[in-house]
Amino acid sequence: MKLSKKSQTFLEDLRLYLVASGKDEREIEDIVSELEDHLYEAEKDGKDVDHLIGKSPKEYMEQIAGEMSFDKKGWLKYIPVLILGVYAYILLGEAIRGGVQYSLLKIAGDFFIIIISLLLFSGVAKYIASHRLSKFKEGMLFALLGIMPISLFVGVIFLDHAIDSPEIIFNQTGNILTVVLCIGLFIGMALWSKTWVPIIIPAILYLPEGLLGLTDLRLETRLITQNILVFSGLIIFFFIIFKKERKEG
Amino acid sequence: MSTSQMLKGILEGCLLSIISKGETYGYEMMEKLNEYGLTMVREGSIYPVLLRLKKEGFVSTVRKQVPSGGPKRKYYRLTEKGYEELEEFKRRWSVISSGVNQLIEEDDTNETV
Repeated sequence: MKLSKKSQTFLEDLRLYLVASGKDEREIEDIVSELEDHLYEAEKDGKDVDHLIGKSPKEYMEQIAGEMSFDKKGWLKYIPVLILGVYAYILLGEAIRGGVQYSLLKIAGDFFIIIISLLLFSGVAKYIASHRLSKFKEGMLFALLGIMPISLFVGVIFLDHAIDSPEIIFNQTGNILTVVLCIGLFIGMALWSKTWVPIIIPAILYLPEGLLGLTDLRLETRLITQNILVFSGLIIFFFIIFKKERKEG
Repeated sequence: MSTSQMLKGILEGCLLSIISKGETYGYEMMEKLNEYGLTMVREGSIYPVLLRLKKEGFVSTVRKQVPSGGPKRKYYRLTEKGYEELEEFKRRWSVISSGVNQLIEEDDTNETV
């Protein structure tokens, strides 16, 4: 027997809510599978998920989350790695595009953007998980989530132009070293997380640019080809991920 | 103590008592509560309480495969500490219930006078 769509959605939402609240992964799986078992029995007795959670999913998720501990150890591990990854990504881009030139203001600004984005992501994920929103509203929130960090990054670039702050400029050796270290870091992250994502994402975004830079193509042709390659690369990547998730789910 | 805290405390005591009668799991506990006329607005209310009992070390859990398939089932058992807490609850409850009973009976006698 399979669980009803409504019950499955509730369990997925609960998992998302607890992950976004920074709860321990094992504890999350524990409570989710316990509730799954409950829902199996309940549906056999002809009851649905509303019997379990009452009128408000939000209130129930808060109650569950309130009894679970914050995964301090896990987050102390993930957040520095994530921050390091974002910096490596920025530095790699700079090193490929004619050398690293990084101002203190930008270093600090980028740091705040990462933290703000994390908090924003956690907040939006919790909101979406605990409210029964229409697909349209959900899409709007995700769009907002995507636009916010990008506009903040752009804002910092403008601020950086307007205000003078000390700059770190690498020479040729420094730039080559940066590329090697950043690529090494992405490979390390891929091994650590046991996924290809930390390698594939920077590769899709930077490889076309790096390779096209070696050709004699005109700048215009290069930029257009590069954009097409990056976009189709990202679309293919997300399509494959989506397919795989579907299969496993 | 707020009203909801008092109710949580009572639910906690009831669950300790149910688990003390033998190894059991969430859905069965809920059914047993219903058998005693203790129905809840939200069946799921027992799970936050069970999480707390586990955290306090009053219960231990073990996962077992169920013959009907589906996810592994989580069974609860009282620990030494859990039995002590149950005795503690029984004492607290007898004070509260005898107090409430006396109060209500007084009301009844006043009304009849």
